[in-house]
Amino acid sequence: MSSQSEIVLTKAPVPLVFGFQWSVGEMMEKFIKTLADKKILGAKCPQCGYVYVPPRWRCGKCYAKIEEGNLTELSGKGILLSYTTAYVELDGVGNFKELSEPKAIGAIKLESADSTIFMPLGEVKPGDLKEGMKVEVVWREEPKGELADIKYFRPVKG
Amino acid sequence: MPYIKEQRKETISVEADWDVGGSTTWKHSTLLREYAHGLKEKKIIGSLCPGCGKVIVPPRNICGRCHRKMDERVVVSDIGTVTCFVISAPVIKGKTKVMGMDPVEMGLVAEGERVISVYVKLDGADSNIDTELINCKPEEVHVGMRVKVVWAKEPQGKLSDLEAVEPLKD
Amino acid sequence: MRNVAIIGCGQTKHSGRRRDVNLAEMVGDAVWNALEDAQVSPQEVDAFTVGNMQGFGGVAQPEQWLGDWIGASGKPVLRITTGGSTGGSVAHGAYYAVASGLYDIAVATAWEKHSDSKEPGATTGLSHVALGNMLNLVNCGVGLKHLLSMFVVGAAAGVACYQAMYYMHRSGCRVEHLDMVAAKDRRNAAKNKYAHLQWPDCTPEDIAKTEWIAYPFRYGHVCPASDGASAMVLACEDIARKRCKKPAWIKGLAAYSDEENQIMSEGAGGIAILDASQQIGATMSAIKAYKMAGIKDPQKEIDLAEIYQPFPSQELLFAERLGLFDEGKAWQALEKGEMDINGRMPCDLSGGVNATNAIGSSALQRILECALQIMGKAEEHQVPKEVHNAVAHGWGGATNYITVTVLGDSPY
Repeated sequence: MSSQSEIVLTKAPVPLVFGFQWSVGEMMEKFIKTLADKKILGAKCPQCGYVYVPPRWRCGKCYAKIEEGNLTELSGKGILLSYTTAYVELDGVGNFKELSEPKAIGAIKLESADSTIFMPLGEVKPGDLKEGMKVEVVWREEPKGELADIKYFRPVKG
Repeated sequence: MPYIKEQRKETISVEADWDVGGSTTWKHSTLLREYAHGLKEKKIIGSLCPGCGKVIVPPRNICGRCHRKMDERVVVSDIGTVTCFVISAPVIKGKTKVMGMDPVEMGLVAEGERVISVYVKLDGADSNIDTELINCKPEEVHVGMRVKVVWAKEPQGKLSDLEAVEPLKD
Repeated sequence: MRNVAIIGCGQTKHSGRRRDVNLAEMVGDAVWNALEDAQVSPQEVDAFTVGNMQGFGGVAQPEQWLGDWIGASGKPVLRITTGGSTGGSVAHGAYYAVASGLYDIAVATAWEKHSDSKEPGATTGLSHVALGNMLNLVNCGVGLKHLLSMFVVGAAAGVACYQAMYYMHRSGCRVEHLDMVAAKDRRNAAKNKYAHLQWPDCTPEDIAKTEWIAYPFRYGHVCPASDGASAMVLACEDIARKRCKKPAWIKGLAAYSDEENQIMSEGAGGIAILDASQQIGATMSAIKAYKMAGIKDPQKEIDLAEIYQPFPSQELLFAERLGLFDEGKAWQALEKGEMDINGRMPCDLSGGVNATNAIGSSALQRILECALQIMGKAEEHQVPKEVHNAVAHGWGGATNYITVTVLGDSPY
């Protein structure tokens, strides 16, 4: 009698949710709160000049310390380096959910920044996206100092 | 509190929930079920190792000491010896909550009762089972005391058939 | 196999809530402190070992975030997790990297950030570990009263409660001795600027005033859930001799795992370990580590110990397992003051895990503290005697993971 060959499956009989709350640290908090002023902050490494967005206080290239004085305001305009279109999203319990409309996501290099940010793209059909397109930020009507204040990036007209 | 306290800035957080109940399925073998079914007939089943002769209760597949397969089954006694005990603080209604449940409100524990959890080595077994000791004052429990299993009135093939142990009367 | 020494140590302040930093910043702090202490630039580091218990802070594969925050870009990184002994295993991993001859300088870093989980303390992480077993019990019809009694008695302390009772029954140790150990650890922690629970003039009576959780433990006995990180720089003999005034040599190490001591869990089904304080793994690790280090009489040759003791009973029983006191006699030695800073065998001068428990970091800190003592850098809690040999211990899982490391002021 080999009980190893029999497998029994169990799932949690009651809703069981674990919550997490990751503290963001001071530089990131400054970045997020400044979005309320419709401003995007970056940080320039005083040693090698690499500009990070969002800002961080240790350069990932030359490992020099970056101070508050090295914070710099970015224009909110940039270049679309690359992009993709999503047709499904995850439902939080391991299943795919079809999107009512395909969502475009872009890798954007902001003016004067060296690092890339990943942002949703709006006001454009996925088929019209092109690498190298100029894009600009579109803010929420009433920014509150949250990450969601950046609604999406759209192609610059003209 | 007399501890040295320090205040640090509290930065904002990014939050997320992990729905464990919705997204995870666990796999188990049937060993614990086998043990539970034995309890229906008031039989406590263990597995016997052909190598070192140890009897493990509840049964397991492989001996942890000599790594041999343990296919043979043995029924052990429902009388045994306490090898270890831990006594809870008095359970207070509204104060002690477990997984959102209040044990006193649910009628499982009397107000102010101290729950005694014991490890019992049943006669014939070489391992401990953990269970509750009832009908005994906390001051009287001691290592080495003889106890007997208290069975549920109508065993149904569940782990709860072995309700608790109580001091063995001579 | 080459000789390996610790040439620099770094820690962050450990406390209940490090919400002023994010995870990468916190670990980065510890690593940069260590690199500065060692006077090594990040470009010179050849390999990294990192570790924590992910379920507690909710970040899977944290090394991907840490990468360029700790100087690991372009370098090999190995993540090691072994329950409570994670820090010890992480340090051992860095030792293997250098002793093997493959790398000359390795950095070992370990951390925990409990405050990132919404449930207080270590609840999320512990549920993580026990959930599958709990569901199996529920599905086999475990009695609600039994479940509740398991929680009411064991939730905070788990198997350590039973382990303490076994030890106390065997040796004659009483709750008063647990009060003494906890008070000593919190007084010691007050002299360690990185520790969490610092109570400068804590007495056993202060501890005895706290409420019971489950006999034999009071609230005053239990370790905290801390946020914090620690790191060490390990180097081969050539580099250690050239660059460090007084390196701390790793003379011996071993890690024997044992059976899991979980009752009624899947497949464990009660194991043939009747005494949860027996901890064969600790004895075997100690024998092997001492042999490798050339220690024949630990009671005479070891100058101080850092024991992994989230609960005070463990400081006593593991000290015996490591051969530092006669079997069953540690509590008597405690009464005589042998475990104090001026005693024969100072234990946990840093306050140990009882005063600071950031799970990943805690076992690494035991090795780190021994290194600080040998290097003479322990500042306010520096032992007032020459330290020739020290032993660090790590414990984890459900009594199944053990690491033992012997350090000294010379490799031989």
